[in-house]
Amino acid sequence: MKAGRLFFGYDFYIVFPVSFLIFWSILNIYSATIHEYKNLYLKQALYGTIGLGILLIFPRINYRKIVNLSPFLYIIGILSLVAVIFAGTTILGAKRWISLGLFTIQPSEFMKFVLILITAYILGSGKEKVDGKKALTAGLIAGIPFFLTMKQPDLGTAITLLIPVVVMLFVGGLNKKIIYGTVLTGILSSPFIWDHLKDYQKKRIIAFINPEADPFKSAYHILQSKIAVGSGQITGKGFLQGTQSKLFFLPEQHTDFIFATIGEEWGFIFSSFILILYLIIGLRIFYWGIKVKDPEGKYICFGAGSLILTQAFINIAMTIGLAPVVGITLPFLSYGGSSMVTFSLIIGIVLSIIRIHKLEKLHFS
Amino acid sequence: MNTDRIKKIIYLFIIVFIILEARIFYLQVIKGNYYRKISEKNHIRIMITNPPRGKIYDRNGILLAYDEPLFQIYTYPYLIKKRFESIKKDLERILQIDIPEKVEKKIKNGYANKVIIQKKLTQIQVKKFIDNWQFFEGIFLEVQPRRVYTEYARYMPHLLGYVGFPSEKELKENPDLTADTLIGKSGVEKIFDKYLRGDYGAKAVMVDAKGRIVKTLWEKQPKRGSDIYLTVDARVQKIIYDAFKESGQKSGAVIIVDPKTYDIISLLSFPIYDIQKFSDGLSKKEWKNLLKNKYKPLFNKALHGIYPPGSIFKITVALAALQEGVIAPYQKIYSGPQFQIGKWVYRNWDPKGCGKIDVIQALEMSCDTYFYQVGLDLGSEKISFYAKLFGLGEKLNPEIEQKKGRIPDPQWKIAKIGEPWYLGDTVNYSIGQGFLAITPFDSTKILVPVLNGGYVLKPKLLKAYFDMEKRRFVKVETQQIRKIYIKRFFYNVIKKGLYQVVYGERGTAKLLSLAPVKNGGKTGTAQVFRHKKRKEKIEKWYLQNHAWFVDFVPYKKPRYVISVFVEHGIGGSKTAVPITKSILEKMYSEGILNESR
Repeated sequence: MKAGRLFFGYDFYIVFPVSFLIFWSILNIYSATIHEYKNLYLKQALYGTIGLGILLIFPRINYRKIVNLSPFLYIIGILSLVAVIFAGTTILGAKRWISLGLFTIQPSEFMKFVLILITAYILGSGKEKVDGKKALTAGLIAGIPFFLTMKQPDLGTAITLLIPVVVMLFVGGLNKKIIYGTVLTGILSSPFIWDHLKDYQKKRIIAFINPEADPFKSAYHILQSKIAVGSGQITGKGFLQGTQSKLFFLPEQHTDFIFATIGEEWGFIFSSFILILYLIIGLRIFYWGIKVKDPEGKYICFGAGSLILTQAFINIAMTIGLAPVVGITLPFLSYGGSSMVTFSLIIGIVLSIIRIHKLEKLHFS
Repeated sequence: MNTDRIKKIIYLFIIVFIILEARIFYLQVIKGNYYRKISEKNHIRIMITNPPRGKIYDRNGILLAYDEPLFQIYTYPYLIKKRFESIKKDLERILQIDIPEKVEKKIKNGYANKVIIQKKLTQIQVKKFIDNWQFFEGIFLEVQPRRVYTEYARYMPHLLGYVGFPSEKELKENPDLTADTLIGKSGVEKIFDKYLRGDYGAKAVMVDAKGRIVKTLWEKQPKRGSDIYLTVDARVQKIIYDAFKESGQKSGAVIIVDPKTYDIISLLSFPIYDIQKFSDGLSKKEWKNLLKNKYKPLFNKALHGIYPPGSIFKITVALAALQEGVIAPYQKIYSGPQFQIGKWVYRNWDPKGCGKIDVIQALEMSCDTYFYQVGLDLGSEKISFYAKLFGLGEKLNPEIEQKKGRIPDPQWKIAKIGEPWYLGDTVNYSIGQGFLAITPFDSTKILVPVLNGGYVLKPKLLKAYFDMEKRRFVKVETQQIRKIYIKRFFYNVIKKGLYQVVYGERGTAKLLSLAPVKNGGKTGTAQVFRHKKRKEKIEKWYLQNHAWFVDFVPYKKPRYVISVFVEHGIGGSKTAVPITKSILEKMYSEGILNESR
């Protein structure tokens, strides 16, 4: 009975897949990096433990308190994004990190979490229907971190910042005309955005559309990654047996290209399993989004679900040559503390919503 | 909230899921066998080829630097790890190559990173390697160019600079570089790197387990670097080196330029270092010795050192005074053995004094007391104005000059020293002493406009380069920076004065009248330490005065400006003039210099 109370409100359809992904992440990062770095998997184990800790503690906090804090969190987030511009550490040609002495953090990752909260805070308050005013506020609120992240330059994160907000607005019942208008503006302004992209971003996009154009670096990664995944066949080469992803120039094999290692060593059956896990997590969060009554909770669920699904799918798509290489992590699987903590926070707050919903239901019945 | 729309979103994600699932199925199940084969039997490898750097020639086509292909063997540890011991034996047996412990460690601990086993293979080793390839599976042969400097280049290490592999920072900043690209690190090699370097080639190839190329996937052709012709005359460079060396002086610089084009004919910083050894890499001990040497062989004194010019600066002061109307060409001024402002006494270097003299005579005897008076009449600001007009203290060609001379003025003194400008400062300034300091290269700027009719030109080191696209040599034209409007007559007055320095009765460089070609010039002796005791001065090298001489030759139609700077050389007449004479004689006897042309 004690255990039952401790885990009251936990949705194991979400908790089990997430825990499995974290465990799986440590195992595969070990395989992907042990020949080069001795202790990256240990670091990831630490991040994973922190992530699981968040999953354990967070649901016991009332999410509404955190939502009410969101304007404050948002300001901190923006300030740290600005700090990146001035004092950031450059890794692989992009300034995304702030060095805090012992470790570096990537504020744009945390911004994903904060942005979902504050959008829910804006859309969920007052009248239920999303009107032009609300939409405009949300657009502005999302626009600032979007451009700051674009500047870093980090196209992938900028897009993943925006998509949950778009989904939340869409589900919130935003007028069709506004949606079409925005999409049209987006299309019309794309040449302008193109001009502001960095050369390497352009190269990657061109390489994706036409691999022959820049065969040397970008398209080479895509090809190598395809070979790695493909060569895993149905059952994979076995743990630690992958050669392709270790040997040949997949520079981010333990971060953005972790799926290549999984595909190569574990094969089709397991790769599909991983994909299905993401689908289960995402759909389950959507399910609760429909079920809970509180509008803020609903919005958070839709934002969180769409973020996890979008990011996972785009990452896998670029690994298997279906999307340009944009530099985003695979939630819970990729190496990195910022990503791990961010997604744990997102799942944590969803769990809190579910728990509160169940508690309230219990009281009413 | 719109439940209908949520459903739409969910359907969208499910559709994407199905597409991804189908793609994975396609890659892993349908094409899995194909990719497995690629990953097992074939490896894709990027091969980078670095083309030879362009050659460097002197102005007459004497070769100075070129690339020589060197062969080296390398491996990827994972390919030979398992049979390392047998490969080690074969390398020893067939190629007589002993793998050093360091490399062995790298192979044993490494995985996919390239490890170079042996550099600089002999031709016999290369042949044996190719003939016995079956023993060396997993080991590869590649060409790595080495920069070679010819005999003539040995005399101009500072000028040519050296090459090396890019640093981490340079690699990050320039995407056109690879870790194996040789780039210019200093001197000509660096200044004209854009011509010399060319562009690396890259090839993505599929190789089988034995390292044979099965298929070329993509290819980018390497572009070899362009050859360049410098304005430098290698023969003259050797001459000035020999002249300086034979003089027994320890440290200094010699620069020769063409006043019509500002072509840099030669540029020497003495002592020199071994350019080839430097380029190939020095041992720690050799490095230490070079750094410890008190004559600073690594320091390019001609371009990077700044020193007080002393009396050669009187040329500039005289021109300024003429143009400003402070003196008239034949106006005589009494210049005694000393000059006094209040209680301060300023002496002439020659205690006899000069008597009543005009500007030509003043230059001839380098009369200090004459220039004290003229300088005071001009004022420090006017002196600075003319010095700057001639390009002193300015980088006329920033690619070549990296250090600016110091042209002082009252604002500068307040800012840097915190004291106001005294009249005494102007007095010192007018004979090229005090706060004024210039690079030896700057000293040519004093004469160049005087000789070419007032044109301040951009110093030039590149005569021509080979344009790879047009497939022909492109000549580099001299660029004019500005024109100085001073009466031609005044230039001729100055030239006459400089002639008298050599041929006049009281000239300070009379030794040069024995030179085979008519010439003119100006001596300079610059005090380094004022307050040291005379006795101590004689004993210690670093307390001696600097010696200067700027010369132009032939007198009628000057083709060369020769500037000699001897660091702590005691006196212009004593050390710089004999070196100049030696240079003129050698140039004459080699037929480079004669009167008629």
